[in-house]
Amino acid sequence: MPSDTIRAALIQRLRVSSAIADEDVKEIEALPISVRQYPSERAVVRDGERASECCLIVDGFCARSKTIASGRRQILSLQIPGEIPDLMSLFLHVMDHDLTTLTPATLGFISHDNLRKLHRRSPRVAEMFWRDTLIDSAMFREWIVNVGQRPAPARLAHVMIELRERLRLIGRVDGDSFEMPLTQEQIGEALGITAVHANRVIKQVRQEGVVEFSRGRVTVLDEQKFQELADFDGRYLHQSPTL
Amino acid sequence: MPRFHFDIHEDSRLIKDEDGQNFANVEGARKEAMLTGASIAREAFMAGSADQVVVDVREDEQTPCLKISIRLEVQELAGDQPRTIA
Repeated sequence: MPSDTIRAALIQRLRVSSAIADEDVKEIEALPISVRQYPSERAVVRDGERASECCLIVDGFCARSKTIASGRRQILSLQIPGEIPDLMSLFLHVMDHDLTTLTPATLGFISHDNLRKLHRRSPRVAEMFWRDTLIDSAMFREWIVNVGQRPAPARLAHVMIELRERLRLIGRVDGDSFEMPLTQEQIGEALGITAVHANRVIKQVRQEGVVEFSRGRVTVLDEQKFQELADFDGRYLHQSPTL
Repeated sequence: MPRFHFDIHEDSRLIKDEDGQNFANVEGARKEAMLTGASIAREAFMAGSADQVVVDVREDEQTPCLKISIRLEVQELAGDQPRTIA
């Protein structure tokens, strides 16, 4: 796989959200990344494991999650190409949650050693990655509010709009539709409800003419209703260097 | 593993579960039905869209083997009695 394809989504994202300088792009282009293919629903790194590399999603979707003693799983975030969802493992040595593929995925692995060297060589890149993990925690704050306070249809709409706004950054929104490759059960796990309840919520938002979800794809039927239902304010995504 | 379907009634509105889900036994399906009923009831009661939520659990096309019913009852008590603060 050509080097620019591997890093394209990451660089695109850093350009928009952090205004990365050209010389820093060169640093990232020079970063050794070993690419591996993963099937869907495969653990990339598990809760309790000690990681020695970080994972850049080149293509495909992943999710971070945590499973409680009874076996019920909470999905904590959806992760898309251009993101390094376990960047924190550079400093937090033992994983405190799982990172799993949702779809077949192309993943690029960057050794902690090489990342550390890059940070020492270029403190600006280090700051950018730091900002990245802070945005990550801003997204978790929003996710807690979503799961804890919003009614289920609003919760679903919010997760959908967040995903869309992040996909938009890397040019992966197609008019009024975009990919959300989750099963009903996984949607339930993201919203903190059962699969049957998730199914009911998906039917409700379709019947109300807001949004259609089928075969892992979201199609917006009424943008205004969608926005109102989700109660979405994208500031927390900090998708601009001034935010 | 048997496949269970969870049909939901919110007052008189019925949402049939065409897909169903596999559970090792009725006990697993019972837990799922309770969680589902409770969380749908919470939403419906808060939104004021229904006062009763019923989950019928059936194995494939058979008649239901389990029924879970949750009803909201709010009683307004008359009078403006002074409240005592403990």
